[in-house]
Amino acid sequence: MARAHPFTGPSLTIAITLLAFLLPAPAGPLWLYGGVVLAALITGALSAPWHGALICLPLWFFLFLLHGVLGADPSWSLGSLSLSREGTAMALGQAARLGAIVTATLAMYRGFSVPRFVDAASERGWPFQYSYLLVATIMAVPRFVSQVHHIREAQRTRGLRLTGNWLTKGRGLKALALPLAFGALAEAEERALALETRSIRAPVRRTPLHVVQDRFADRLARWLGWSSVVAAVVWRLAS
Amino acid sequence: MSPRQLALIPVAVALNVAVGRIVAEFNLPVYLDATGTILASALAGPVVGVTTGVLSQVITAMIGGYVWLAFAPVQIIIALLALAGARARMFRSLPVSLGLGASVGVVAGALSAVISYFVFRGVTAGGVTAITTLLTSTGLPLSVAVTASSLATDIVDKSIAFAIVGMALRGLPLRMVARFPEAGRAIRS
Repeated sequence: MARAHPFTGPSLTIAITLLAFLLPAPAGPLWLYGGVVLAALITGALSAPWHGALICLPLWFFLFLLHGVLGADPSWSLGSLSLSREGTAMALGQAARLGAIVTATLAMYRGFSVPRFVDAASERGWPFQYSYLLVATIMAVPRFVSQVHHIREAQRTRGLRLTGNWLTKGRGLKALALPLAFGALAEAEERALALETRSIRAPVRRTPLHVVQDRFADRLARWLGWSSVVAAVVWRLAS
Repeated sequence: MSPRQLALIPVAVALNVAVGRIVAEFNLPVYLDATGTILASALAGPVVGVTTGVLSQVITAMIGGYVWLAFAPVQIIIALLALAGARARMFRSLPVSLGLGASVGVVAGALSAVISYFVFRGVTAGGVTAITTLLTSTGLPLSVAVTASSLATDIVDKSIAFAIVGMALRGLPLRMVARFPEAGRAIRS
């Protein structure tokens, strides 16, 4: 996945998301989920299926509880449980749908390289603003999350309590969220100055630092993904 | 889009995610994942607010699954209502911000309920789904349970988020307020 063209992963993930909703449940999403897990293992994204299952586990549990156990017309027995046949089938389809989408996204994200994406976007002639927004955001998120820890430790030295009743927690929330918001606005000012200095609005086409190869395998994978979506739409409309 | 507006979007999206982490540390039953969207909208107008909301969903979807992109319309509606509230000077005091947040919570909750019911069959994030399950077990139809749980959580969530943004806007240095004309109008009493 890491060697693939930066547009291939996101493109295939969107195609899988659409297929998960287009294919008839429960068989369609179940086959799709199986295929996505297999593809993730083959392409080297070994942790994606496991991590995806961990994310989906609470959702699967609630789907089974809400539709299987508490669903209408419990006519099917599983041990001491009476289950709704229709609700269980629906829960299974929805669970496989979520599993396929989450696993595909995680596999894509594991192989997503920010610098390669910027190069590929420049090569395609995307306006710099679009790639800046995506890349700056991806880089800002982990920095802000770690900033939360710094602010929390600083506020704890001033007496911040993380436990207690809701009023105490509310005060603590204010003590953490407001410095973070002010810090965010100060950072936005610095970035604005940097963007202005670098002539962000200059009407010139930017050149990529490295040329990203769009191999035949990448083009074929994207073509197959989107052809499957078109075929599924035609099939569902015809049936 | 001006460089200032462009620079504000990534930090506002990061704020959405980071405030969500703070809430998780306090074990509070809310998300506050639209705080940055509300702030961006109140400071810099509709384009920045809506872009922040949509990009926020895209980034969350990239990390946790494209399936959550379905909630992007909720972020858009929050951004637009926050802007309308800012233009109506509804961030001028804590009670007014809380009232605005509760009203936005009703709209956002209703829209979330529709998406949650039709796309996710009522099963989304842990807290809301637990309430939905509890209500369904009492015999309520799924559609009613999903609507009630979405409304209840969103009203509380958006009230707190709008209160925080209101406090942030009122606490801004005048030098900063001058750079964002929408903010000046939002807090004028």
